[in-house]
Amino acid sequence: MISRRKALRTGAGLAAIAAVGAPSILHAQTKTLKITTWGGKWGEVMKATVLPAFEKEFKCTVSADQAFPFLPKLQVSSKNDPIYDVLHTNSNEQWNAVVEGLVMAKITAKEVPNIADVYPYAVSDKIVGVTIFTSAIGLGFRTDKGLTKPTSWKDLADPKLAGARGGYLIPVNSLGQAHLMMLGKVYGKGLTDLDAAYKALEALKPIKLVDFTGQMEKMLLSAEVSMGVIHDSGVYRYEGANMQPVDFASPSEGVLALEQVLNVTPGSKVKELAFAYIDYMLRPDVQKLLAEAVWYSPANKKVKLEAKYDAKLLTTPEKVATLIQPDWKWYNARREDIDARVTKILKG
Amino acid sequence: MTNAARPTPIAWLIAPAGLLFVLFFVLPFAVMTAMSFYSGNPVTNPNAFLTTRHYERFIFDTAGIFHEALWSTLRIGLITTVISLLIGYPLAHWMARMQSRLGHALVLMAVIAPMLTGIVVRTFAWMTILQDKGVINTTLMQWGLIEKPLPLMYNEFGTIVALVHIYVPFMVLTLTGVIGRIDERLEQAARSLGAGRLRAFVEVTLPLSLPGILAGSLLVFALSISAYVTPSLMGGTDVLTLPMLIAQQVGTSFNPNFAGALGVILLLVSLAIVVAYNRILARLAGGQGMA
Repeated sequence: MISRRKALRTGAGLAAIAAVGAPSILHAQTKTLKITTWGGKWGEVMKATVLPAFEKEFKCTVSADQAFPFLPKLQVSSKNDPIYDVLHTNSNEQWNAVVEGLVMAKITAKEVPNIADVYPYAVSDKIVGVTIFTSAIGLGFRTDKGLTKPTSWKDLADPKLAGARGGYLIPVNSLGQAHLMMLGKVYGKGLTDLDAAYKALEALKPIKLVDFTGQMEKMLLSAEVSMGVIHDSGVYRYEGANMQPVDFASPSEGVLALEQVLNVTPGSKVKELAFAYIDYMLRPDVQKLLAEAVWYSPANKKVKLEAKYDAKLLTTPEKVATLIQPDWKWYNARREDIDARVTKILKG
Repeated sequence: MTNAARPTPIAWLIAPAGLLFVLFFVLPFAVMTAMSFYSGNPVTNPNAFLTTRHYERFIFDTAGIFHEALWSTLRIGLITTVISLLIGYPLAHWMARMQSRLGHALVLMAVIAPMLTGIVVRTFAWMTILQDKGVINTTLMQWGLIEKPLPLMYNEFGTIVALVHIYVPFMVLTLTGVIGRIDERLEQAARSLGAGRLRAFVEVTLPLSLPGILAGSLLVFALSISAYVTPSLMGGTDVLTLPMLIAQQVGTSFNPNFAGALGVILLLVSLAIVVAYNRILARLAGGQGMA
């Protein structure tokens, strides 16, 4: 027979175990999704609205890394227990990641149902993972310098713009890399005509080069350059801010796609949740919120944007057809040679 | 246990610093060196193999950019160090000999104040001053003194100007401590024996301050050759340094093995320069190695 004292002692012991163990049990039940995401306005909206709503709906916590670059961190983490479950980068980095087996090669509507509603470019053969948004890379220009709105990529080579045109340090910036390929298309036989591209690049000197788009935005806003390669979002997001005399032009040869791509790491322990997150990011309401916050063109065809966004972003099949997607697999395979060549061309 | 085997109190006090040095320098450097001899990451890639190809890539430099990048890195480091010394020494001497405690405190605050602002912010400040539409060029053009902007930025000149501004405080603070400890009466004695002000300085104060010059120079040189943000923002197309190439290899080319090899090469070349510099200064001082 159990004595009263023994029963009390046993009860107290069980209560203590329960009290100590409860947080870990609770923790075990709450899954954590590890993602990468951008900072700035995008990061603000994600942290304030998008991610809390996802956490509430899927009863999980999201750990978001905004400290770029992400791929080197993924490279050194274990493939069986990767540092991220969902990798958000531009398209060319996804191609680097898939070569090393760090992300999935393809994601279909079976795993992410909203893929059924995306434009074809979002899951084309130029994409590893799924595109959730895209920007259009074209030409940003000052409207107060007596320039006519550029209609061709060739307008950047106008002698009047010597020293007042802007581009990117090609080895470190995907807009610069995409622009180099576009020079091959405009001046040569196509995106892969590197000889024509190198020659055209040489003709753009003197040119001011920066390593990230934020710096190009700053150079345009301060009139340090009168025209430069930039994505539409980098110009449109200043709309209404002190009436900046800066505008964006889509050259007739086409605009280059700067895709925002999500992908899942093969070793993720919460793969279902990772797919659910991508599906959530493709929902029309989430797409609308983010698209209007940062002027990104949504990948989901069903998204209806406010008129002022709809007028400028790629929201119809006709406008989407002007997008040119670079072959990053091809580019990355030649990257070392290209980096060396363009560095020599642009130095001095 | 004998007394000889027992750690002294000093050893215990040094232990945390030693541990930090091992954990945050020796260990990462060893990993980086090991990685530089592999084709990939041996932890995550079972097919990674031992190779010297990253060093061969640098040595043979078929791309034609790596040797120039190394020379550019060292040149910027040396010029920044010399200019920082030329600016910093007189200031440090003045501070060390200042009688007024309030004056000393005010000058010290002026020297330290820029260090309270981040390097990125200070570099952006220099950009607004030196760029084509910056304060200097705009003013000179408005006054009609120049027609085209002066090339103050997007080159080595702008990079060195910004680096000197950032690293002069390190030189001044190092030199002030050393010059302050030199007995002023030695200089007075030299003058009472007939030496002029300049000769007393050159033959007495300057040799005695050589340890400070060495320490300050090494500090500024080490910081300059490892600078990344400032050359990236100020250099434009004209400047390509090894730290920029290393960041490029890690961050956008995703080749940490070659980045590791570049890091090892930069360290070895820098060490060789430091040893040579130490010996030259020691010879000038007429003594043994100083550091």
